[in-house]
Amino acid sequence: MLVVPSQKSRPKQRSRALDSLVGSLIFIAPLLALVVVWAIVVPVFDVNPRIFPSVGSVGHAALESILDGSLFKHIGASLLRVFVGTLIGVATAVPLGIAMGISPGVSAFFTPLLRFFSVLAGIAWIPIATLWFGYGAGAIIFVIFNAVFFVVAYNTLLGVTTIPHTVRNAAASLGAGKWALLTEVLLPGALPNIVTGVRTGLGFAWRALIAAEMIATNVGLGYMLFVARDFYRTEVIVLGMIIIGLIWLLLDRLILVRLERSTIERWGMVRRA
Amino acid sequence: MTTLQLRNLAKTYFDPYAGAHVTAVHDVSLDIEQGEFVSVVGPSGCGKTTILNMIAGFIPYTGGEILLNGKAIDGPGPERGVVFQSFALFPWKTVLDNVGFGPKMRGVPKAERDRIAHEYLALAGLSHAAHRYPGELSGGMQQRVGVVRALANNPDVLLMDEPFASVDAQTRMTLQEELTRIWQERRPTVIFITHDVPEAVFLANRVVVLSKGRVLEQIKIDLPRPRVWDELIEDDTFKRLSADVLQMVRSA
Amino acid sequence: MNILLQGWSLYIRATHRWPGVAALVPFIPVVAIWAIIAESGLFPRAFFPGPVDVVHSFFSLSYKGILPDYLQDSLVRLAAGASVGMLLGIPLGIWIGTSRTAHRICWPVLLFFQAIGDIAWLPILLIWFGFGLSTMTFVIVYTVLFPVVLNTVLGVESVPRDLGRAARSLGASPARVLWEVTLPGALPNIITGLRNGLGYGWRALIAVEMIVGTSGIGFMMFDARRAGSVVEIMVGMIILGLLWYIVDGWILAPIERATGRRWGLVTS
Repeated sequence: MLVVPSQKSRPKQRSRALDSLVGSLIFIAPLLALVVVWAIVVPVFDVNPRIFPSVGSVGHAALESILDGSLFKHIGASLLRVFVGTLIGVATAVPLGIAMGISPGVSAFFTPLLRFFSVLAGIAWIPIATLWFGYGAGAIIFVIFNAVFFVVAYNTLLGVTTIPHTVRNAAASLGAGKWALLTEVLLPGALPNIVTGVRTGLGFAWRALIAAEMIATNVGLGYMLFVARDFYRTEVIVLGMIIIGLIWLLLDRLILVRLERSTIERWGMVRRA
Repeated sequence: MTTLQLRNLAKTYFDPYAGAHVTAVHDVSLDIEQGEFVSVVGPSGCGKTTILNMIAGFIPYTGGEILLNGKAIDGPGPERGVVFQSFALFPWKTVLDNVGFGPKMRGVPKAERDRIAHEYLALAGLSHAAHRYPGELSGGMQQRVGVVRALANNPDVLLMDEPFASVDAQTRMTLQEELTRIWQERRPTVIFITHDVPEAVFLANRVVVLSKGRVLEQIKIDLPRPRVWDELIEDDTFKRLSADVLQMVRSA
Repeated sequence: MNILLQGWSLYIRATHRWPGVAALVPFIPVVAIWAIIAESGLFPRAFFPGPVDVVHSFFSLSYKGILPDYLQDSLVRLAAGASVGMLLGIPLGIWIGTSRTAHRICWPVLLFFQAIGDIAWLPILLIWFGFGLSTMTFVIVYTVLFPVVLNTVLGVESVPRDLGRAARSLGASPARVLWEVTLPGALPNIITGLRNGLGYGWRALIAVEMIVGTSGIGFMMFDARRAGSVVEIMVGMIILGLLWYIVDGWILAPIERATGRRWGLVTS
């Protein structure tokens, strides 16, 4: 029973887009299966809607909140806070991290400090943030900034210190001035670590956001979830949970992981903080 | 007495990237006698590693049969010992525990399996390293442990998959001489896969040349033993045999 | 100049002998700056207490027994949740790492539920279980579970294939292979998972204690916020930071490094 390999069927140029579409579908399949199970179990076991909502009621809640604009209001508020906090955080942390990392003495000094504060990053700052900034977006943005800042600064520091001295010397001996050294050597060299830091920090920030919004504000996804509890509106809660999951999944997997992987692939291994 | 028989052995599998069935091994029949040292050579992709993996029981065969002492084989097992190119020593076990692993699987009590392990380590000249971890040893030493680890089970057949390919050239020559010395003492039946033609000729009684999943030629190697590189490297018979085999491989 | 150099040399030798010194010394100027800012009256004292106030509060809280009690509560919850998380997570991780089908089915589900995050479960947990220990334990277990499972899977997948084959060819049954090869091989990554899990776990604990707790460090901080007492919040934060810094830096990380290095395996 011999089968000769057929020479003609060699699809070398399979469409990239098709591949990734198929890949996504395969990925989603178990989740869709779960939705199907959910759709069957709730009516069959006559589950109390105050305990767990039916698929239909969640869909209905989704439609309702989209139509009256409240869903976009909440998502928008949450995303805005994350965006602003992250932007400020990265913009301050990267230059600081680089500055600290340039000399081994300075970086050795700051490393334990940054490690300590990045350990504390995020949720632990909520009480003090609300005291300093009061309730509202200010406190939340501070918490997000905090979560991102320390982690990114620490990782940037790490990234800069792992650039081999020989590379920096080579640049200098090829005539690179201070500015060129920064943009051509330090920044690209630390980039993989910076991206890892952004990904980790954003992870902390997103979760801190939800927690903070439960306590400290009256708009946003965390708030939406928490207030729905008072009225036993489980369909809103489940809707909120799904949205939170989807947003983070999309953000992390589609953007951050790709970014991280591409910088690592281009520039080599990353020491994780 | 025939220990191992390959009868019309074949292997086909589906390659998803090519979208087609690929035949790695077409029709290989081979008889290996007890105590023989057989080297298998051939160009890349000729199927030699596939055959070894099938004999070892790591992958299933799709045609023909493999008989060990008259019985069909069934999955991996200590009667077919394997020596890997990557050494595959257990990094978290000492050298002694690595060599004693096979006996441990057979339920041999600790004192006895330590004794066996020490015996085989002495055979390889590695008694001093008994309590070291693999990570502390050089590549050459690790592979010697790999060899005696498989031998400690007294296998019917010893399968060696390019075992010295990951080691530097000089260590390789030392290991080859070591291997023939150990073989002469214990006389296991050995199937040795390699790319290196002089290595194949140096070690074996018989060289099998494979090409595109089939047996091309078989050559008896009648060189006297013990075999030593310093002597053989200038020996005319050795040079002729190597040249002949190399020619066959390159034209395959 | 000479004195400075001598001082510097002394410092280097001291940190070499006692590495802990290097970890602590950088905090001295920070504390000093903190004290200066607090004293300067730049911010109202109530909003920005100085280190002395914090230390004072620390001692008074300890004396009243509040701090040790709360600390114990928090730690017990974390330990309990983490233990359950590990007991569930490691076998699950091994199963997913070894079985293709399990991997294909469970992986997307894992990623999605990890993305939802532990805190988002609180509202529905409160409906189901109320403001009790069950709610808190669930959240911690949930949080610890994901890093443990994901890292265990990574560990299992990174065991070189030849090792399993070698074991089988030496007569090991599949169960033996799991015990003798897969588990030890995956151990460094499992410990990384545990370390990450604890890191996320205690954060989740603090958040939960803030939102629904009646005791514990997180509750203490949130309660202090209600009373407007920044000092106690700071005490809480510093204790949290110190505790994790010590546990992670001086216990977990060395264990992680030791297993990885000892066996010559790679940790991520």
